[in-house]
Amino acid sequence: MKLDELEKAWQAQLTGRRLTLNADIVLRELDRSKSHFEATIFWRDLREAGGAILVAAFVLWFGIKDHIWPLFVMAALSGGVGVFMVVDRLLQRRRRPTYSDPLLACVEESLAQINHQIWLLKNVFWWYLLPFGVGCALFWGQCSWTLLKAGLWRLKDLEMPVVGVLLYWGIYHLNQLAVKKGLEPRRQELETLLQSLQSNSG
Amino acid sequence: MNVHEAPGDDWQALFSAWLTEHAGLVFKVARAFAPTEADRQDLIQDILLQLWCSLPQFEGRAKVSTWVYRVALNTALAWRRKETKRRALQTPLIEVEELPGMEEDNSRRLDREEVVARLYDAIHQLPKVDAALVLLYLDDLSYREMADVLGISESNVGVKLNRAKKVLADLMKEVTHEA
Repeated sequence: MKLDELEKAWQAQLTGRRLTLNADIVLRELDRSKSHFEATIFWRDLREAGGAILVAAFVLWFGIKDHIWPLFVMAALSGGVGVFMVVDRLLQRRRRPTYSDPLLACVEESLAQINHQIWLLKNVFWWYLLPFGVGCALFWGQCSWTLLKAGLWRLKDLEMPVVGVLLYWGIYHLNQLAVKKGLEPRRQELETLLQSLQSNSG
Repeated sequence: MNVHEAPGDDWQALFSAWLTEHAGLVFKVARAFAPTEADRQDLIQDILLQLWCSLPQFEGRAKVSTWVYRVALNTALAWRRKETKRRALQTPLIEVEELPGMEEDNSRRLDREEVVARLYDAIHQLPKVDAALVLLYLDDLSYREMADVLGISESNVGVKLNRAKKVLADLMKEVTHEA
């Protein structure tokens, strides 16, 4: 069969058929989906950035109340993590791929976004775990020093840092797993798309 | 009516009108990129959602159909299968209804439907960019319009399209032999 015959058959595929579409239902459904999508993004951002800021406020309040200086450091570092998350989200929102752009531009934007997400998760130790960790370590160090001076320090007091290290190890590996299983395959897919769009040889 | 001239609620009227006019295009893109009926409805919903969200960005420089193609193909390229549980909750947004009493010869119609089904099978086997290009070619878009949708030069469209057409022709032969 020749290509122009295929073309004719293709263009006539909806002959004798009617596409039923209730615009009111579609619009209602789309509004619902859009609200759901926006609410999901809002609550995700609030959970992540708001959580860090809430921890900062809580720790600061304790620091002021009990005059414990490591808690000030912990509050400042937690607040820094929260601010970093908010700024990052705002910058990324501006760079979100625009679906009405040509395919090449949209694939490039999606790739830039996925590369940024991979960078964030691969470096989660530096911008998320370390600041919290430094704060916790200082607080634990000061408590231990006070206990040591009073002769009350026990080996059992090592339980907290051990649990903390295990928790950090788990969080770090979960993030790396998300990169490996979810983001890397998507990046490869986008790179393949980009190459096939950019190559002149087809 | 241009989208920038449309005040408030008129956006909805404009969207409804465009949707009615270009539903076939959305349906074809969804069928070309989603293998099953449930997936197709899921992709249609995603495409319509992106069209609705992208409507304020329509600047009127391109034809509406070119713009709908861009949004539909970008969504289809980014689309991934979702879990059955989530898909099952969705209401079909576009449905195909057979029109009774059409004068067209039934056997001719069945032949055409078979060819179209084979075409879709072949398109499913193409790389995604080639599939997009073939879709635009079959819908008779000019090289300029294809270049506008894809964001590449017209000469590049020509090179890629020639290659994609050859692959499509080979695939159609294979599908015929298998059938």
